[in-house]
Amino acid sequence: MRQNEKPDWFFVVSLLLLLSIGLLSVYSASGSLKSLFTHQLYFILAGVIVFLGASVFPLRLLEESAPLIYGITLILLVLTILFGGGPAGRWLQAGPVNIQASEIAKLCVIVLSARWLPALRREFVPGGVPLYLSTVGVLTVLTLLQPDLGTAAAIVMIVFGMIYWAGFGFSWIFLFLSPLSAAISSIKFVSWITFTALLCGVLYRSGAKPRRWVFFLVMTSFIAAATPSAWGLLRPYQQARLTTFLNPEADPYGAGWNVIQSKVAVGSGGVTGQGFLKGSQNELAFLPARHTDFVFSVWAEEWGFIGSLFLLSLYAVLAWRILLGARRSLNPFNSTIGAGTAIFIIIHVAVNVGMTLGMMPVTGLPLPLITYGGSHIITEMMLLGFSYNVIRNWRSY
Amino acid sequence: MRTSSSFNEKPYRSIMVITIALFLILTGKLFDLQIVNGGYYRELSSRNHIRSVIRPAPRGIIRDRNGVVLADNVPAFTVSLVSVEFDSTNTLLLGNLLQMNQQVLRARLDAAQSNPYRSTRIISGLTVEDAGRVADNLYRLGGVSVDILPRRRYSHSISFCHLIGYVGLADSTRVFEGELSGRTGLERILNQRLMGEHGVVREVVDAHGRVVERFQGGDVEPSPGENVTLTLDTRLQLIADSLIMSTGHPGAAVVLDYETGEILVLSSVPGFDLNQFIGGISEENWDRILNDPAKPLLNRSWATTYPPGSVYKIVSAAWLLESGIVNENTLPDPCYGTFHFAGSDFRCWSTHGRLNIAGALAQSCDTYFYRTSMLGDMDEMADFSGGYGMGAPVTEILPGEASGALPTRELLNELFGQGGWGLGNLMIASIGQGEVLATPIQIAVTAGLIASSGNLPALSIVVDKSYSGRNWETNTSEETFRIVREGMRQAVESSRGTMHNSMGYLPVVVFGKSGTAETGSGEDHAWVTGYIEEPQPIAFAVIIENGGHGGAVAGPVAAGIIEKMLEIAYETE
Repeated sequence: MRQNEKPDWFFVVSLLLLLSIGLLSVYSASGSLKSLFTHQLYFILAGVIVFLGASVFPLRLLEESAPLIYGITLILLVLTILFGGGPAGRWLQAGPVNIQASEIAKLCVIVLSARWLPALRREFVPGGVPLYLSTVGVLTVLTLLQPDLGTAAAIVMIVFGMIYWAGFGFSWIFLFLSPLSAAISSIKFVSWITFTALLCGVLYRSGAKPRRWVFFLVMTSFIAAATPSAWGLLRPYQQARLTTFLNPEADPYGAGWNVIQSKVAVGSGGVTGQGFLKGSQNELAFLPARHTDFVFSVWAEEWGFIGSLFLLSLYAVLAWRILLGARRSLNPFNSTIGAGTAIFIIIHVAVNVGMTLGMMPVTGLPLPLITYGGSHIITEMMLLGFSYNVIRNWRSY
Repeated sequence: MRTSSSFNEKPYRSIMVITIALFLILTGKLFDLQIVNGGYYRELSSRNHIRSVIRPAPRGIIRDRNGVVLADNVPAFTVSLVSVEFDSTNTLLLGNLLQMNQQVLRARLDAAQSNPYRSTRIISGLTVEDAGRVADNLYRLGGVSVDILPRRRYSHSISFCHLIGYVGLADSTRVFEGELSGRTGLERILNQRLMGEHGVVREVVDAHGRVVERFQGGDVEPSPGENVTLTLDTRLQLIADSLIMSTGHPGAAVVLDYETGEILVLSSVPGFDLNQFIGGISEENWDRILNDPAKPLLNRSWATTYPPGSVYKIVSAAWLLESGIVNENTLPDPCYGTFHFAGSDFRCWSTHGRLNIAGALAQSCDTYFYRTSMLGDMDEMADFSGGYGMGAPVTEILPGEASGALPTRELLNELFGQGGWGLGNLMIASIGQGEVLATPIQIAVTAGLIASSGNLPALSIVVDKSYSGRNWETNTSEETFRIVREGMRQAVESSRGTMHNSMGYLPVVVFGKSGTAETGSGEDHAWVTGYIEEPQPIAFAVIIENGGHGGAVAGPVAAGIIEKMLEIAYETE
């Protein structure tokens, strides 16, 4: 390892600006509860230390310890399912510290994918692809049972982004995704026919052997046939219970109050915003979960269209710098971990901001580096630390 | 320089393109919210005048097995008010429009102030005219709204009052003022399925609390509750009720299909009108129900226990046969009308002479049971009867279902102390007196088990079997079932059978057992139980409180129900 590269100022400056925006927004959102701000300050200080550590951590060692991380994450997830507390039962309470294991699951899946995907791409490992998919599948299902539908969905999206990065191509991703797509397409006959036609096209293009044709067609037809009957076996109130269980944030009354209030807050920001600590929606406490899920609306109300655009640009710059570093990196593991981090950030920003604007379903996905909370900030700072490490050591192989 | 980078070139480009696209989509939406519609939202936020109005979901409809509606909903007009938006100088006007006592109205307004931002119901169940008067004046009554809300309506409500139950205001309001939930009966037990999900309408209101417009995009239609189809047959239930009523005594009848486990009749007389409970029962009506000597609130078919008397003999006879104390041909010493034992007289209701077990069942000879049961073990008899559903709730679904009782050593020690009781208690128990207590539904289950050779399925009350009760463990051989059935057949067929006069005329084979249960005070309870195989495999139990002789008083009720079934079967053919 050689530390011979200049600092990436784009990366550093946008990271520092994002952290500052986070502190300002949480300060504004915490109202009279200034202890929230103090906690957030500690979380960010801890995050900076983690970042510095991760940015010099030997990445080879990280690659070697992927199975260990996987084991620890599984234990934490199972413990949370068994003993979880907190508002949605997703926190593992260890003394004064609450750990949100589903955040660690995201870190784990990125390290795991970075370890395996390039290897699977490079050479044929018998049973390698199913093994990789089932390890990730177990992690996703445990996250789903936290219960945390949002994070489970994010994990799936991150994994497919990384599969694509590793060079598997869209056909592969389509085939990987086919069980899930089959289940979703079974809602309507037309969508199922379309899906099956696409599947045939992809199989034909990839020059699949007859065995693979039979496998995919039989499997997807079976799933498509089983899904509606399995769902239909449930009574309406059981279906409602299941959806609220998996996604407790979802407003059972559809276009929810939270989202409406959030849209009003964002919209009332106008071009230049109402000014720091002057947002009426926020200050009058009409905004729900304003220091956590809906923190973006606080910023948007106070700083308007210009401030919102600035914030989104900072994320875009951060993701761009990481992807650039990942593209340049000579080591496949390093490259993939960087790409995973960038995809992580893009997905989280899109889902969280989309939610506050009423374009996405309400899930508990945090806005990276800004939403109040320790687990996700430390996870993100660690990933960003590794990514900065990748950017600076792109030559190391 | 880019040795491995060419490898990642394509994904890099695609991901950057996707990122920029997402960035542009979010920016576009921000532009729409903050710049295009910024003024509108700023206006809204400056006074925060979006009001949520709950649209309650209609509760699911309850029907009987033939689609007869037992509980549904009718629209009713309601006037509600948001306290902070209401100008209290309008109180007089509102009172006049509603033709409401000013004091009552003031009390309701005070109550509404406890939740000032929420819409609180002032009065419900208005006619179109009353509601119309208020609606015409809404322009000067800020904060007031007139809504149409679903209101529960019960049909055949006196017959089904105990089973269906009624709805009332929810104890803990989950979401909104005026939310209903089932208070008793199936309304309570099936509440989750019946209640549905309420909807929401968002209204934009001005500074005076008047509705300016509907807020677009925030409406949610209420989703109605699930409809439920019961296994009950209203035609049979109504005939059972009127037959019991014609005896002039309170009573109950239970009919179940012993091949499917479906309950067809759960009659308890007298009943009360459930519709009085909608929107709160008046004190006068409540007192009338409460002080009625016939106790209409008492649910006699599954929540009240009675001494079963001789109808219990079908179980104790099966026990005597299974435990080897008697067989089909055992002829104990004759019945002389009274059996002297240990210084006491155990009386029989007649003088029967020498009988085998089938004859003892047909003629309901107590002496046969005294002489044989004394050779058995009390705990074994209780255990055996437990397998027939006695001593514990049989459905575990019906609300407030009684367990009944069976004498065991433990129970008798508790009641009378060690040594305070003796073999006499077992002898009395074997004829269904003493410490034996059972509900009519339990007795119907025992008949159903005999009829089906112990294969009676778990009882169900909802057609889809989503609410099914427990299973049985009769531990009885086919031979024993055959002998008990023979005794029950003779009780109706034989000219000396106790039910020959009341049911012998029916054109189908009836297997029956009557019971005349001593109550300790007052006239005996009249019981019959039994089953038929044609036209439909059903088991029945009827009790007439203090009715007197079982075969003579309860028998005609059971016969009338079977006649009705024959009539229905004839019509459908």
